[in-house]
Amino acid sequence: MGQARILIVDDDPDITEVMKTVLENKGYTVDSAEDSDEGLEHLKKLRPDLIILDVMMHTTREGFTFCRKMKRNDDYKDIPVLMITSIKDKTGIDFASAAGDEEWLPVEDFLDKPVEPETLIAKVKEILEK
Amino acid sequence: MEALIKSTSLTSRAYWLIRLRWLAIAALCATVFGAERILNVSLPARTLYIIVAILFAYNFLLFLFVKYIISPQKEGSIRTIGRMITFQALADLFILTLILHFSGGVENPFFFFFVFHVVIASTLFSTLHSYLQATLAVFLFGLLLTLEYYGVLAHHSLKGFSDAGLYRNGLFVSGTFLIFSATLYLVAYMATSISAQLRKQQVSCENINVQLRKKDSVKDEYVLRLTHDIKGHLAAIQSCLGIVEDGTVGRLNEKQTDLVGRASRRAFKCMKFIKALLKLTRLRLSGRLEFADFSMKNTLFDAVSYTQNKATGKNIEVTCEIDPQVDVIYGERLLIEETITNLLVNAVKYTPQNGKVKITAKKREDSVLIQISDSGIGIPEGQTEQIFEEFYRADNAKKIERDGTGLGLSIAKQVI
Repeated sequence: MGQARILIVDDDPDITEVMKTVLENKGYTVDSAEDSDEGLEHLKKLRPDLIILDVMMHTTREGFTFCRKMKRNDDYKDIPVLMITSIKDKTGIDFASAAGDEEWLPVEDFLDKPVEPETLIAKVKEILEK
Repeated sequence: MEALIKSTSLTSRAYWLIRLRWLAIAALCATVFGAERILNVSLPARTLYIIVAILFAYNFLLFLFVKYIISPQKEGSIRTIGRMITFQALADLFILTLILHFSGGVENPFFFFFVFHVVIASTLFSTLHSYLQATLAVFLFGLLLTLEYYGVLAHHSLKGFSDAGLYRNGLFVSGTFLIFSATLYLVAYMATSISAQLRKQQVSCENINVQLRKKDSVKDEYVLRLTHDIKGHLAAIQSCLGIVEDGTVGRLNEKQTDLVGRASRRAFKCMKFIKALLKLTRLRLSGRLEFADFSMKNTLFDAVSYTQNKATGKNIEVTCEIDPQVDVIYGERLLIEETITNLLVNAVKYTPQNGKVKITAKKREDSVLIQISDSGIGIPEGQTEQIFEEFYRADNAKKIERDGTGLGLSIAKQVI
């Protein structure tokens, strides 16, 4: 299981670095992309087993757009997505309850920022074992 | 007229007129009684009492009409109340003229009460309308004097009070009428200019309020954006510190652990503050809440048991007394629970060792009264007004907990 490949798509280099460190420490192979374009490129090249996605990058909806594009493509639609966001602060929307809605938030699971290392590891493990 | 007075205050003005009329009715009764029985002035008392009775019935009908038939929400009711007030103002002029006719006409100094009608009109109606009202009063009074002078209408003199022949004294009648008319128009002029000024000020006050609210919400949006950005940076700082602290990236020596721990705690406090600020700002901005039925009793128990955990360390006894009738209510459960928890935690925080905190819930007619009391430091006199202000912290509270955000009670007030 430790061999799984994870792609982090997040425009905050520091958060990315922390998650990368935590996950690499557990034996995962981790790649990162700063925006959705780079993310899609990596997706093609690297074929990750899991994507950790920040919902709000340069634009508020970039994460959503990336997610929908990906899920529409037959090659990638089965790759699970763990969405990470602090958007609840801005919108007050309860994302946890919306996760899994194909139309609205087509992700496997959802975590609120700031993410605790243990929570992140547990969640990643849980999704990969599904 | 509709433009001058807002619909909300229109109903209250209608009630005001009705209240004034009750007063006038009582005063009229007392005057007739006093004049006839005590001063022995000759009066057609029975006729006057009949007029009083009619006036009473008329006012009671108006009261019922405003109370039960007009609802401020109903469309068109503003116009109805407006018309009703206009009608009342006219009817009152006729009634006063009628009363004067039966109580001495020009010989009864109460004719100067027309002044009150003109003043009332100028507070309720437009300037033009007020002058029309004054003109109608002048016309009615003039008509009464003329008809009595020429004997068309019988004169009821006030024997024992004034010279019974005055109504036939042309010079006196015309002089009185002229002075009366001049007074009425002067009063109309003064009262309308004063109320016009007041209205102008009221309008500008309202405009300023609207502008202030707009600016406040611009500020709130700015604060929201700012705090959100800060939170992003803070989250990154906390995450970085977190994995250094928990040894993911290698062991630290004692000094390093201490310093990273300090940094981490400060970041945590900062985050707490930012989160509270975000919550308050969002609450102020949105106003959209999710209301539902929920059990108030359970919510209270939850809040109390949460607080009890915190209180045991200081050996503070947290008791709760909940009226068994308090159960399901309609509201925003999360916000209410948080507010109560917030207040309880506050109570525990500012109560010294071995103290007491008590919460009671009582059922009221259509609400629940919740009271929280503690044996703590209290609020210094003179600062009770300010404790709900954002970022405000009472002097004695600062001494106990240096790092409070000063936002807790603001949030509580916003919720309530």
